[in-house]
Amino acid sequence: MFSFVVKRLGFLKSIPLLAIVYDCLIKLWILLTNPRLLGWIDELEETVLLLPNTNISLHQYGGLQFNYKNKEFAHCHSNGILDVLFNLKIKQDLMEHGKIQPHHVFEHSGWISFYIKTTEDVNYAKDLLVLAYQRSVKFE
Amino acid sequence: MENFFKPRLLLGIVLANIIGLGIIYINTYFNSQKDGILIFSEFVIIPLLMGIICAWFWKDLGLRGWPMTGYAVLAGLLAILLSFFILGEGVICLLIVSPLILGFVITGVFIGRAMFKKKNQTVNVSFVGILLIFFVVDSLSDHHYANMVSDQIIIKATPDEVWKHVVAFEKIKQDNNYWLFKFGMPSPMETSVTAKKLGAGRKCIFSNGYVFDEKIVVFDVNRDLTFDIVKQPQDPEIMGHIDIDRGQFLLTDNSDGTTTLTGNSWYKLYVFPTWYYDLWAESITRNVHFRVMEHIKVLSEVK
Repeated sequence: MFSFVVKRLGFLKSIPLLAIVYDCLIKLWILLTNPRLLGWIDELEETVLLLPNTNISLHQYGGLQFNYKNKEFAHCHSNGILDVLFNLKIKQDLMEHGKIQPHHVFEHSGWISFYIKTTEDVNYAKDLLVLAYQRSVKFE
Repeated sequence: MENFFKPRLLLGIVLANIIGLGIIYINTYFNSQKDGILIFSEFVIIPLLMGIICAWFWKDLGLRGWPMTGYAVLAGLLAILLSFFILGEGVICLLIVSPLILGFVITGVFIGRAMFKKKNQTVNVSFVGILLIFFVVDSLSDHHYANMVSDQIIIKATPDEVWKHVVAFEKIKQDNNYWLFKFGMPSPMETSVTAKKLGAGRKCIFSNGYVFDEKIVVFDVNRDLTFDIVKQPQDPEIMGHIDIDRGQFLLTDNSDGTTTLTGNSWYKLYVFPTWYYDLWAESITRNVHFRVMEHIKVLSEVK
């Protein structure tokens, strides 16, 4: 469903607030069907906020955005898709582990997507966020 | 859970609802709209504002996403509950409206959280100001929406056989398949006529006993039965929200012993945004059509 909306109705994201409303409807659905996922996203937030010079904001296309010095390095949609910014080299290395996928929209960029489905995935997601944070610090 | 007993949390939920209902009351009091019209702003902008109000009260509580979503849902559910008791809305109506209300309250809460984190009062005031301008403009605008829904089925019987069951039919015994009918929404049960001729009265009786009073305006035997609805039932589920204006059955002879039966309904909606409510209105109308037309098919195909 999410993939259908993003691929076929993606042009609607230019309508102000629409993507954010859509993400909040997903949040409502997840609250009713899989509330643990919302708790896991909160864990990611706590992990990132422990790192210096980080903050969170509302992602322009819905979800929680993670920033280093107010610049985005990752975001997590409410259905548990974590999008993290790396470069193509790191992306290629991570792809070999078989856990991540190319970004669900920008397949050929340095962005990657990771689908959080289990408690183990949360730990891996935290590792990805820390790695992306360290990269942001290195290249600031 | 310990947050639940923090006064600012409850204060946010309660005050957001008082302000939201207050705005609806003031808007209804001064509004020039037809009685019962509920506009886009009341389902979109007010829930957004309610969410932002909640976020303002909750900004120092350190709430994370999960509890914040849960408390936003509580605020929305309270609004829905108050709509039942104060505005007298029906249960099915509230079921239909709940995704819209809850979705926009949650959106408001998260927008509010982002707004109050940045502490940029100019941006915050501007955003709320734009929402209020939208509200006023929407409230002062005329709202009209009419639609027609058409459905067809093929019946293995000749038009003269089908016609006998189109004009009036005995009680529908089939179980309801549509989830809203199963949930308690009234479904069509029976139709009677005062006479089989132009100008005759027709009654369409629903499962909860409510009756649509109709008048036959086209009586073209074996071809076209069109009727205007002259009196809408006073059902809180539809009262003031939708008017069914006209219904029609068209019979087309397929020249192979079968008949194509077309059911048409014309209605006006008084709840906005129509991009949301018309999805429901169309779905319900189609299911009313199919329940009646499937019944006519069963009656016509009995050898």
